[in-house]
Amino acid sequence: MITTLTQTTPWTDVFKTTKGAVYQCDEERCWYVDFAGKVAKFDYRCLLKLRKSVYHIDIEHALLNTTKDPDVEIIFICACDHCYVLTLLQIIALKELLEGTFVMLELNHILNESLVISQ
Amino acid sequence: MKDLLRIKSLISTEIESLLNQQIKKEAYSSSIYLSMASWCNRNGYDFSSDYFFKQAEEERTHQLKFFKYVLDMGGNSVSPEVTGIKQEYNSFREVFEEALDQEISVTNSIKNIYARCMKEQDFVTMEFLNWFLKEQREEEYKARRALELFEVIGEEGTGRWQIDKHVGEIKYNSEA
Ligand SMILES: [Fe+2]
Ligand SMILES: [Fe+2]
Repeated sequence: MITTLTQTTPWTDVFKTTKGAVYQCDEERCWYVDFAGKVAKFDYRCLLKLRKSVYHIDIEHALLNTTKDPDVEIIFICACDHCYVLTLLQIIALKELLEGTFVMLELNHILNESLVISQ
Repeated sequence: MKDLLRIKSLISTEIESLLNQQIKKEAYSSSIYLSMASWCNRNGYDFSSDYFFKQAEEERTHQLKFFKYVLDMGGNSVSPEVTGIKQEYNSFREVFEEALDQEISVTNSIKNIYARCMKEQDFVTMEFLNWFLKEQREEEYKARRALELFEVIGEEGTGRWQIDKHVGEIKYNSEA
């Protein structure tokens, strides 16, 4: 299911790069990943799975690989509706986007925790 | 912005992955003990064989404790792959030496998770780990006691037969 979603609920920017963006929707408790020409909805588990599969790709190995296979990776996430077919450069960009996203989510977590403590 | 990470899971991803490593470690311990039970049985050390069978079962329950904790906290428990289990030992004594090594490495890895919890102020997981710290006290005690039997009784003559008999009687009862 590849959907181009139209925004009906308020989204908050989590992280943006020149290649893509991640938004959070508090109401639906999920994230929207705008990357490679589509906006895809991820719940908590799926976002973690996406991160895991992207971080798992050995970029260095793929760069040094001199076989004639096309430099394309397919990221298929089990039990999620999305699938990405990405080039190496896109993978690097997606990794950067996800790294930034998780830093921001961590930061948000720390802020929330300290708010709870100071109350 | 809501803290969605926190809503879904009580433990952080770092703690979750450390706990999954521990699940694997406990599974490995269980398999190692089972192979020790087999070796002792094959070589005529019946009491020690029973002792290791019991240890193997205990390690399995430890594994499940961690496994269920991670799930209960909203995390993902990974059923571990266990490989590279040593099947042969050079001597009766070597079995017990390696049993102690294994317990020491388990204690260290639990301490390591505890240290990470302190850093994150994850008091919930710290409290959960307290049970294991106490358990390791017993585990290391028993493993050391078994090795001491080799010193006290000696392996000459019917020594090993005696040692085996006493291994079956090792108990830890400290109220502290
Ligand atoms: Fe254990
Ligand atoms: Fe143990």
